[in-house]
Amino acid sequence: MKKIILGIISLALVTACGNDNDQSITTSDSDKEKEEVVNVYTHRHYESDQDIFKLFEETTGIKVKVTNASADELIQKMKMEGEQSPADVLITVDAGRLHRAKEQGLLQSITSEVLEKNIPDYLQDEDNFWFGITKRARIVAYSKDRVQPNELTTYENLATEKWRNRILVRSSSNIYNQSLLASIIANDGEEEAKKWTRGIVENMARSPKGSDRDQVKAVVAGEGDIAIVNSYYVGRMLNSPDPEEVSVAQQIGIFFPNQNDRGTHINVSGAGVAKYASNKENAIRFIEFLISEEAQIIFTNANYEYPVLEGVEPAQTLKDWGEFKEDKLELTELGENNKKAVLIFDESGWK
Amino acid sequence: MNQVGNKQNTFSLTKRLKRLKRDVNKWSVLTLTIVFFLALPVISIGVELFSGPGETWSHIVEYLLFQYISNSLYLIFFCSFLVLVFGVSSAWFISRFNFPFRKQIEWLLILPLTIPSYIVGYAYAGIFDYGGSLDMLFRQFNLDFIRIDIMNRTGLAFILSISLFPYVYVSARAFFLNQANNLLEASKMLGINEGKTFFKLMLPLARPAIIAGLILVIMEVLNDYGAASYYGVNTFTTGIFRSWFSLEEPQTAIYLSALLVAIIFALILFEKWQIRKVRFTSSKTNDTQIHRKDPNKPMQWLIFTIVFIPVLLGFIIPLSQLIYWAFLTASTVFDIKFIMLSLQSFGIAISSALITVFFALILIYFSKWSALRLVKNISRVGVMGYAIPGAVIAIGIMLPTIALDKWLIQTLKSFGIDSGFIVNGTLIALFYAYTVRFLAVAYNPIESTTLKVDSSISDSSKVLGVGNLKTFFKIEFPLIKAGVFSAVILVFIDVMKELPLTLILKPYAIDTLAVKAFEYASDEMVMEASIPSLFIIFTAMIPVIFLNKLLIKR
Repeated sequence: MKKIILGIISLALVTACGNDNDQSITTSDSDKEKEEVVNVYTHRHYESDQDIFKLFEETTGIKVKVTNASADELIQKMKMEGEQSPADVLITVDAGRLHRAKEQGLLQSITSEVLEKNIPDYLQDEDNFWFGITKRARIVAYSKDRVQPNELTTYENLATEKWRNRILVRSSSNIYNQSLLASIIANDGEEEAKKWTRGIVENMARSPKGSDRDQVKAVVAGEGDIAIVNSYYVGRMLNSPDPEEVSVAQQIGIFFPNQNDRGTHINVSGAGVAKYASNKENAIRFIEFLISEEAQIIFTNANYEYPVLEGVEPAQTLKDWGEFKEDKLELTELGENNKKAVLIFDESGWK
Repeated sequence: MNQVGNKQNTFSLTKRLKRLKRDVNKWSVLTLTIVFFLALPVISIGVELFSGPGETWSHIVEYLLFQYISNSLYLIFFCSFLVLVFGVSSAWFISRFNFPFRKQIEWLLILPLTIPSYIVGYAYAGIFDYGGSLDMLFRQFNLDFIRIDIMNRTGLAFILSISLFPYVYVSARAFFLNQANNLLEASKMLGINEGKTFFKLMLPLARPAIIAGLILVIMEVLNDYGAASYYGVNTFTTGIFRSWFSLEEPQTAIYLSALLVAIIFALILFEKWQIRKVRFTSSKTNDTQIHRKDPNKPMQWLIFTIVFIPVLLGFIIPLSQLIYWAFLTASTVFDIKFIMLSLQSFGIAISSALITVFFALILIYFSKWSALRLVKNISRVGVMGYAIPGAVIAIGIMLPTIALDKWLIQTLKSFGIDSGFIVNGTLIALFYAYTVRFLAVAYNPIESTTLKVDSSISDSSKVLGVGNLKTFFKIEFPLIKAGVFSAVILVFIDVMKELPLTLILKPYAIDTLAVKAFEYASDEMVMEASIPSLFIIFTAMIPVIFLNKLLIKR
């Protein structure tokens, strides 16, 4: 039996050391040849991103080293690492977190004509601390049998009595809901936002749970009539490997709220250069690459996000939904109102 | 003091003083040093308590705290009940009776642990969903689909119970296999029937072992984040994340964590107080295999059915759902790299399991050999980390290690050497983190087996002039082997599926299967997460089956 145990231990050590060696080789390599790298802290865990990073490595010869975790954890990590932080670029899936990173002094202002020119003003930080790289819209998915599209108008209208026990929406812990409420606070004021939240809670068909995809399924299952969801999840469902999911997604209609006034609420995935980036030039080149035409095409076709670069066509699925008017609210305001939004959610009992 | 005590006390006191004199320099100092390093992350977080909660604390108390407490308590009670039913009954039937497929079911019962509980949650949601597996099955037979909503707190309690009951099964079984034989023989000779033997004799005796497993389950239940947030149940842990990230107040999150730890601590103290007068030890070495009964055939199949239910619910059903998803997504997700990834995860998991068990043994025995009672109690502090959500512990790990790194960088600079982080972002920090996090998983099963070993055995060995270490290897280790192997299995599986620590602390070059699975699942690509999840399960199965063989063979 001792032999067996020894066997396990040595096997374990071999594998573990194997890892160790791999690592030490790469690090010593980078020391010798001064290999060009960019260290990316990112919240985005998509295949599309990995493809784009690979493309960036091939075109520039700069190696992309990725650390994946939630934006909040990454921000915390950068804060603790301080000046020694290896991070060069921070990527998050919402503008609020980028704003928070900026406020906490984790990002720096950069000059890049490519970024400033090509990204619309409202999708980038006014002091050039961060830039949006893709867009998503918070839309309404409705049951084609029970709801006529002309019954739908605005987000505000969803809080009226007409929709009692008919709305499906996920938990308020979700950042996209927080951003939506933050945008309503910014547009309508805090008091109106409170009323709106209470109205939505009263109109909920069930207590919030599950993901955005689950809300869409629940509409088709008849638990409610409309769902507030993120556009790219519906895009993903329509192109899902599961035929059941595709058929579910085909049974719902898509509506873009507030087309006659401020436009539909959008949020961005965005990137900023870290304050203590040791590869600042590479970091800027990297972000510029993310909004290049080839990268934008991959983002929209693999992930069903809207491109930020003008002239790039959205994926076919998105084009089928038609064009829509966006709420051009400065996205910084989403970050500023985020905490207020969470407090309002709690007070109104939106779980 | 000597004057007030009677003869006996004087004797033990002088003996104690002598032992203290002999031991205090070695074992106590060593224990305290190790405990200090293991408890450092928890202490670093604890220090933050002094800065007071954030400004939204009163907001949380007003709107959320009641929900957190009631949901968490509901989960604790419901899960404890289910876990005890599944875990203890299966451990008893497995150890006591012969029935068809017993040998296979013996290790199958451990496997529910290998599926991360949030994945089990997704799998069950996928089964009961509209357009889910049950729906499709019903349509095949032209039946009307009655949708059962499992996404609520009862459903969550069920999910957590079926994926966590093996903790109780493993530690109860280790007791039954090791210790039960003499007692069973005695009870048989006295003509006591099976039911009475179990309830009056075995259950009370197995209590420390069962509770050891149960405490692990409760800690896991309390720190679960993935399944709870998906099922829309607000618990302490979802609250910790909310106040930390959404409300941007780490201090408030730490206050909630402290409350959580207080609950766990109260439960442990309560249990200690309950069994304060009873000590269960056996002076027999018990190397004899338990003698299993052969009930009649129908009875055997009945037992088979009872024991098979938890395997079915906790393993086979979610596994089938994952396999179905894997077929749907294989063309896009499957990659030969997964095999390398499996090897890497395996290496990391087994190394950390061995390191963690090593430290658990050290803590248990050093504090045993140290005469200071204080040391024994302090050594328990080391295991509290398990109740705190991994993401919070990660911060606790980074605070001291980054401080150390910054100091190292400064020192090296004065020698003219420029360096980056030396501890952070390397395997050292990761192994340290795993040890801190999973110490309880190793500590509890081992400790509960050592409690049953009568100290007179080792005492007599020491009287004969044999040293502590030699006594341990020659006499104690063979007796607690079952507990040690169980601990290795449990820590191994836990590291295989660990997430937040790995994500935050891992070196660039290292990737694990759990990280891969999470990358998909975190963005609602649940189906795509099935392939890495299956790899986790299969990689974890190998040592489970293998160590289990060692455990029962002897």
